Amino acid sequence: MSTPVTVKPMAEPVVVGRGPSLADRLTSFMPVIALLALLTALTIADPDFLTRRSLTAAAFTAAPLIVLAAGATLVVLCGGIDLSIAAMASLSTVFLALWLPDLGAFATPAVIGVAALFGAVQGAAHVLLRIPSFIVTLGGMSIFSAVALVVSDAGTVPVVDDSAISWLNLYVATYIPMSVAVAVIVVVAISLVIKATPLQSWVRATGYSESAARLAGIPVDLVKIGAFCVSGACAGLAAVMLVSRNFSGNPSMADNLLLPAVAAIVVGGTAITGGHGSLWRSLTGALVVTLLRVGLPIVGVPSAWEQILYGAIIVAAVALTLDRSKVLIIK
Amino acid sequence: MSIDFDKQVERTAPARVPALEVRGLVKHYPGVKALDGVDLVVHQHEVLGLAGENGAGKSTLLKTLVGLVKPDHGEIYVRGERVRLRSIVEAADHGIGMVFQEQSLVPNLTAAENIVLGSEGPGVRRGIYRWDAMRRLAQEQLDKIASHIDPLARTDTLSFADRQMVEIAKVLRIEQRSQHPPVVILDEPTSVLESKEIETLFTQVRRLREFASVVFVSHRLDEILDVCDRVAVLRNGESVGEVQVAGTVPADLHRMMIGSTGSDDHYHDNVVERSDEAPAPRLTVRRLSGRTFRDVDLDVHAGEIVAVVGVHGSGREDLCRALFGAEPTTAGEVTLDGKPLDLSGTRAACAAGVGYVPAERKVEGMVGPMSVADNMTLTKQKARCSGPLVSPRKQASLVDRWIDRLSIRTPNRGTAIQRLSGGNQQKVVLARWLVGGDIRLLLLDHPTRGLDIGARSEVYRLMRELSNNGVATVLLADSLEEAIGLADRIVVMSDGRVATEVACPAGAKPTPLDLVKEMV
Amino acid sequence: MTPPAEDTEDTAVVAARPRPRRAVSFRDAGPTAALLVIFVGFAAWSSQFRSIDNVQNIMDAAAVLAVVTCGITFVLMMGSIDLSAAGVMGASALAVALLVENNRNGNDLGLLGIALAVLLGAALGAVSGLALVLLKVPSFMTTLGVSAIGLGLATLMFGGVQPNISDKMLESWATERILGFTYLTWIAAGCVLVGWLIQRYTRLGRYAFAIGGAEEVLALSGVKVAPYKVAVFTFAGAFYGLGGVMVTSQLGAGLVQAGEGYDFSAITAAVVGGTLLTGGRGGVLHSAIGVLLIMVLTNGLVQVGVSPYWQGGVQGLIVVAAVAAAVIPQRRRNQVVK
Repeated sequence: MSTPVTVKPMAEPVVVGRGPSLADRLTSFMPVIALLALLTALTIADPDFLTRRSLTAAAFTAAPLIVLAAGATLVVLCGGIDLSIAAMASLSTVFLALWLPDLGAFATPAVIGVAALFGAVQGAAHVLLRIPSFIVTLGGMSIFSAVALVVSDAGTVPVVDDSAISWLNLYVATYIPMSVAVAVIVVVAISLVIKATPLQSWVRATGYSESAARLAGIPVDLVKIGAFCVSGACAGLAAVMLVSRNFSGNPSMADNLLLPAVAAIVVGGTAITGGHGSLWRSLTGALVVTLLRVGLPIVGVPSAWEQILYGAIIVAAVALTLDRSKVLIIK
Repeated sequence: MSIDFDKQVERTAPARVPALEVRGLVKHYPGVKALDGVDLVVHQHEVLGLAGENGAGKSTLLKTLVGLVKPDHGEIYVRGERVRLRSIVEAADHGIGMVFQEQSLVPNLTAAENIVLGSEGPGVRRGIYRWDAMRRLAQEQLDKIASHIDPLARTDTLSFADRQMVEIAKVLRIEQRSQHPPVVILDEPTSVLESKEIETLFTQVRRLREFASVVFVSHRLDEILDVCDRVAVLRNGESVGEVQVAGTVPADLHRMMIGSTGSDDHYHDNVVERSDEAPAPRLTVRRLSGRTFRDVDLDVHAGEIVAVVGVHGSGREDLCRALFGAEPTTAGEVTLDGKPLDLSGTRAACAAGVGYVPAERKVEGMVGPMSVADNMTLTKQKARCSGPLVSPRKQASLVDRWIDRLSIRTPNRGTAIQRLSGGNQQKVVLARWLVGGDIRLLLLDHPTRGLDIGARSEVYRLMRELSNNGVATVLLADSLEEAIGLADRIVVMSDGRVATEVACPAGAKPTPLDLVKEMV
Repeated sequence: MTPPAEDTEDTAVVAARPRPRRAVSFRDAGPTAALLVIFVGFAAWSSQFRSIDNVQNIMDAAAVLAVVTCGITFVLMMGSIDLSAAGVMGASALAVALLVENNRNGNDLGLLGIALAVLLGAALGAVSGLALVLLKVPSFMTTLGVSAIGLGLATLMFGGVQPNISDKMLESWATERILGFTYLTWIAAGCVLVGWLIQRYTRLGRYAFAIGGAEEVLALSGVKVAPYKVAVFTFAGAFYGLGGVMVTSQLGAGLVQAGEGYDFSAITAAVVGGTLLTGGRGGVLHSAIGVLLIMVLTNGLVQVGVSPYWQGGVQGLIVVAAVAAAVIPQRRRNQVVK
């Protein structure tokens, strides 16, 4: 049915609201600026920093962080938060280390699949039970840690034969570590899938205004469960990377990656209120955070400051990117 | 717009200065003139009624009086002295307080705490609560209105009427602040009260007159005439007149509120001849019940606009949302073109060709920061996709075609929708349901709310065009006038049930008063 | 308070309906009943569990959690959340270990050292609160950040060498007993009492409660809520600080991980006790019941042979179940849950 409708235009201003201001634009480029500034500063502080060895080391550190942050970014874009990613990754390292001897090459997809399933369960609990995402994932974090402790008997599970996952330690084009390449491929792949399908507008609409999205007939519940599922899968993949580097699984191996991952997301400029942001931003954020991690010792700052810095960065970055028009009362 | 009624009452020179006076109040929101030169006088020890249609500017006026809205122009005088009210606290300092329509009590505190909240005085010393003193203070206030509520009862255990008494007691605390007789504004205080409770409230209002001035706002004109001394009427943000209640009947007030009754041609009366052989209705609703509505029967034919009217709590909004699967139902059957309509969620409704335009456009209707193109194509994926992928070219040409067809004024399709004017935003929201070409039933919840007259008229024209093309429409209109102008048939709801149905063909339209009778 | 451009006076706003009367509800009595049932159940199952010694153990083990939960309850009552307990406790644990008599430096400040450590906790709490009201960052983010800052401070103070305390008084807290319970347990009981008094008899406590009930109404009544929010976070921080001191007393040394897990356990305890995450319900006494419930459950499960590693998992399940149960009466379609 085509509806021939003609309406006489009215004389009124075309645009009412203001466009993005200069400050807004600057803020949106902040992650890139920060990345370049950090690189410059580190190069000045230590001219050897720009050598292949230290860059490679930095890249290896960055890979699991990029993957973790990229997955959780989807959840944040939908307006939620996933605090369980680090515990999920830790649990996955234990699973991987335990399953490698039996499953070999199939252990990797199995671990990622299980992590995705756990993620989806959290998403379903959030959506169906109407529990705030941070409390579901906080509970999830606690449960995953407990499971990891129990199945590993609270110890490190060594990996004797790592042939099934050692490919992650190879290099692409002799310079780029495979794990970094995989991390970037993951970001590209997820971004492309979202961009090319209606998911882009579904995810953003869900994050910006969930009720409007629902009333527009968007499958909000499925979108959110999917986001948690991808977040879990990414945590599983990050675990594979960690095991390939450490040759073992441990129930707390990735626990200290939660703060850096959250920091990467918010430093990248993804708004914690949802809707605004992208996986690319989290990739940049993860690189910034990695440079801080490897850079602080170079400039002679004790690593204890790292934590303090994460704390300050998280608060500052959230304050900069928060969409205050959305929440009148901030709890 | 011309004013048809001269001010019917000469302002009798008051013996004393008015308690509150407003001159030339103007407030513009983007695209809307909420207040356009309002004058108002509240004498001391008087109950002034304030009447007006929805959107006449009553809310904005009241908010201005308590400092919640800053007027663009105009002056406010309290006891002859010009004041600037920047916050509700400043208003209270000048002796103006308001009992809000949606009650403003903290539910989990005691009545006593609510009454003294923000001005505890001797009730709190150095941060420590003196429960005895607090109860005494509250009791004093409750005594003023002769209420027997236990001051230490938790507010959420009180009945609605009791909570309203607590609010009145709370508002009267401003006496202590300003040391003058207060001006108490009651915003639609009766809308959810039972008739017995209303009587109690009226007793209170009359009691208040002894030591305060009252501004009483209500949709029910008989109540206004019952309890007030004088009534001021607003229309389209302007004061259109005042009447003494003596010798006035509701019809007089209503005429003033709606202005000229014969000028509804801008609603574009239905011109299409409906075929006589009645086909099966497009939408049939049988004994549908939900949270706030019961046993609703409703038929809507293709090409028909059915307006559902009713006062607060009539359940019509929930009914409308329920038909879109956005509100749970407990019983009943709904069919669309003979097939059962799945009400379990919004997706099923969308797939069946039902569209919904929510009243809260900015919160529920659109995704503000997203582009016009994305907002327009959120629902109908087939229209913009080839296979599972979005085809940018297909989307662009589709969106541009509809921007053109509906004359949506936007720099381009990539502009964030929140930057458009309200009328154009609404057109994008409407277009969302049209781009798929499969729209069969449109549910319009106050589609013209907050729009100026020009934009309204465009939306009317669009609705008319759609119905001429066979779309069935359920309309919750902004005003009775709008409902009468647009609808082919009007369903009146009252207390969650369908009270009556009124045919509304071109040339034989009912008057608003015919409907009001059934609504209350 | 920016009103929308449209008049909201008309009929679309569904009128506020009278709420049902609530007497003493299941939610108030439920946790206590659950505590009794679980206690009786374990007592019947395990003879180990019902020994006097074990009851003392449960109470002593509950001490630190009770103090921390007391603090977090006020934050939850406002409808905010606090994830900073672990970090704040770590910082104050290290601070007190370095300020009282220890093997790292010559400090011997005794009670003053304890007070300073508690103050440090309060200061960190104030940072959370200030970031919330000044930067308008949601509390779960500010407190996540402050937790990291606290852990960083603790790591800085730790400096690679574990400070062991030799302060007699602080050591005695965990070992000396009155009426069968350690000093720590009595301190915790005192904290609960103080917390209850504050909640009942001070403006701070009542306003915290009111903020959770209807923050916008407070603003409409001319109450400036920001200072009260900061004060509540500060106050909660002081309680975490004391919690950190108590852990140091138990361990005899200052550890960065002193508060590990307490943040989550405290939220669990408060929620199980009947405090709503949306605020405005519950209180210190509710939370105390919640603490006992958690401790009885943890202890009982260990007594009947469940691996202690499951402890966190059980808490995770409990918190999800408790929150889900609490939101069931409020569920609506098309409701936004973040």
